[in-house]
Amino acid sequence: MNAKWGIRAMVFIGGIMLVLCFAGTQVSAAENDLFVIAQVNHQTVASGISTREPVQGVKVAVLDEAGVLVGEAVTDDMGEAKISVPSRAGYTVQLDTSTLPDQLSLITGTSNSFVILADDFKTQIKRVSFFIGDVGVSTTTLVEKISQRAADGIRLGLIIALCSVGLSLVFGTTGLTNFAHGEMITFGGLMAFFLNVTLGIPLLVAAPFVVAFGGLFGLGFNWVIFARLRKRGVGLVSQMVVSVGLSIMLRNMFLFQFKGRTRPLDDFSLQKGMDIGPIKITPRDLTTGIISLVVLITVALVLQRSRTGKAVRAVSDNPNLASATGIDTQRIIQIVWCAGGALAALGGIFRGLDEQVGFQMGSGLLFLMFAGITLGGLGSAFGALVGGFMVGVLVEMASLVVPSELKNAPALLILILVLILRPQGILGKKQRVG
Amino acid sequence: MDWIRIIENTFRAFAGVDAAYFALAAIGLNVQFGYTGLLNFGQAAFMACGAYGLGLTSQYFDISFWWGIPIAMALVIILALLVGIPTLRLRADYLAIVTIAAAELVRLVVRSVKFKRIFGGSDGINTFSNEFRALNPFQPSAQYGIWPFRYNGYTMFTLLVGWSLVAVVSVLVWLLIRSPWGRVVKAIREDEDAVRSLGKNIYSYKMQSLIIGGFCGMLSGMVFALDRGSVQPDNYSRDVTFYILTALVLGGLARVMGSIVGPMMFWGLYVFSDNFLRQLVQSAPLRIGGVTIIQSTQVGAVNYMLVGLGLIILMSKRPQGVFGNRNEMALDGR
Repeated sequence: MNAKWGIRAMVFIGGIMLVLCFAGTQVSAAENDLFVIAQVNHQTVASGISTREPVQGVKVAVLDEAGVLVGEAVTDDMGEAKISVPSRAGYTVQLDTSTLPDQLSLITGTSNSFVILADDFKTQIKRVSFFIGDVGVSTTTLVEKISQRAADGIRLGLIIALCSVGLSLVFGTTGLTNFAHGEMITFGGLMAFFLNVTLGIPLLVAAPFVVAFGGLFGLGFNWVIFARLRKRGVGLVSQMVVSVGLSIMLRNMFLFQFKGRTRPLDDFSLQKGMDIGPIKITPRDLTTGIISLVVLITVALVLQRSRTGKAVRAVSDNPNLASATGIDTQRIIQIVWCAGGALAALGGIFRGLDEQVGFQMGSGLLFLMFAGITLGGLGSAFGALVGGFMVGVLVEMASLVVPSELKNAPALLILILVLILRPQGILGKKQRVG
Repeated sequence: MDWIRIIENTFRAFAGVDAAYFALAAIGLNVQFGYTGLLNFGQAAFMACGAYGLGLTSQYFDISFWWGIPIAMALVIILALLVGIPTLRLRADYLAIVTIAAAELVRLVVRSVKFKRIFGGSDGINTFSNEFRALNPFQPSAQYGIWPFRYNGYTMFTLLVGWSLVAVVSVLVWLLIRSPWGRVVKAIREDEDAVRSLGKNIYSYKMQSLIIGGFCGMLSGMVFALDRGSVQPDNYSRDVTFYILTALVLGGLARVMGSIVGPMMFWGLYVFSDNFLRQLVQSAPLRIGGVTIIQSTQVGAVNYMLVGLGLIILMSKRPQGVFGNRNEMALDGR
């Protein structure tokens, strides 16, 4: 094994581990004990979508099987009451209904006590949820439903577009389909968690650093592995399998440090929705949507107008020709990896705000990104923007018709239809791809 | 540290049911990837076809479990056509993308609440194996075999069935690859255009290879389901395909022996690492200088990290694995 490469790999892996060590510290300290966490939410249904807002100041008690009080706690601003329990055994969790805020009560038909069995402690924490408020008959109209879905779809589409630019450009410039691209998104989300939650830095301050780290992370992929494989003339299929190995390794490194749970970021995690016309949207989602749009337009302009952007498109079009005209293709490839990593990290922050942070948050998006860049045309940057956006909108709109657990199914349908009807995608060049 | 126990478990895993069902799936993947150059990242979905083919006999149709075989074969063909028709005319990476997506979708469909009546939802199906158990010639609770290869009667039976299938299927595949058909698919892997210019229908050969590999995956899923006595949707996740791929590359692509020995070595190494680490942190988390390095809940993640690292190193340093022939490994998607 080449010594220089060994050093590179060690620096890279060591760097990730070091960063992740910090991200994990806060968590592992708290998980040595067993807890019951009761979550109290106020559930309202508007526009066909139920929203849950945490309720603070509700008293929850845990009794053991003999009915003896084990502990009690009052819900915090997250609506969570955390009660330590001595062992994995059966308990009853009771909510003190007299401590509920005025005019609110438990949803009719639900009980104020919850029985936990010893087997329920799959991890050190058992969560139970109580819902208060009233789930009346939904009064939303079809127009409201559709516009709400469209709004959600636009947000998801923007995030997918943001994340898949790098995937598509890497494919265009090097021919590699990078199956570890989802891990770049997860990396962004976890870094945001580390800086925001573990270190307590405000997210707005932390975000630029996360994006910078994401860029370095992407650069690291190229520096440690793929640049070297290209230099040695390793086939593209082999490189693809290497990226699969990388994806497995990184995902489990994330799991190692972050554990299997998903957790919210500290800042902006709980917001009330505002009503804008027929749709309900939180200021956070509105802001992330606008930022995504601005970033995407900037990316498009850079690609279209700037010297580097033109060079990127030239390499993407035909690496040999570009290299013959004096473009330093290796440098362009580095730029593409770096920019792709940075954009994916930004997407990771937004996704973390949207859904929560978890070790699989990025790999779950991989399939949608593939559908998006195939639709737009593999290797075309504008294609990734357009295709990713369309897939996001379609997936959300589809959940009006298909059950939400299968809402990714239409993306596969698009993938298959595009490959049958127009394999080069919407914006791809018409060429032999066989 | 109980080394006897670790060694015993390692040897047992070496010849265990997990190695057998991985070997069947790896033989299939080898036909597709090793010989034909088709990058099927959805072998788990073909395994699910086999397992759910059996499961459907009791859950939905209420018929003898032997019907599971034709049902599963039909499912495999449908899936292969679904992923093959749009992609087999295109570059290798399109098949990879579509198969990985289709596999994920298959898992979502079988675990969905919507189709719970048919596929049993996330609980899966566990009512199909009684007829199979009744065929068992061994005493289910008795211990058989010589140290360290000791298994109980039921495992003995699934081992017998599993490894017999491995033997039969690998001989068939070996014969198939030696046949004119095999020479054509290997030529497709090397240079599609050359084969096309000789008047062969590449599309059809690729589809046949995909389906044959899918049948092997199907048998693998069946052995796995019969051993566990249940079908669980989450046993057929995307990562299963990747672990099988790792095992295959470890043994050596484009070699029949490789796809049998690879899974055996994979499980031997995996169980060794798992047992070793678990014993290391059994009583207390491993600490060096007050810093917790690893605790018991993290052992699984470390094992799979090593699997990923193994795949990276193998594929970039020694793509021919242990048994492979480097000359057969000039894979290139472009």
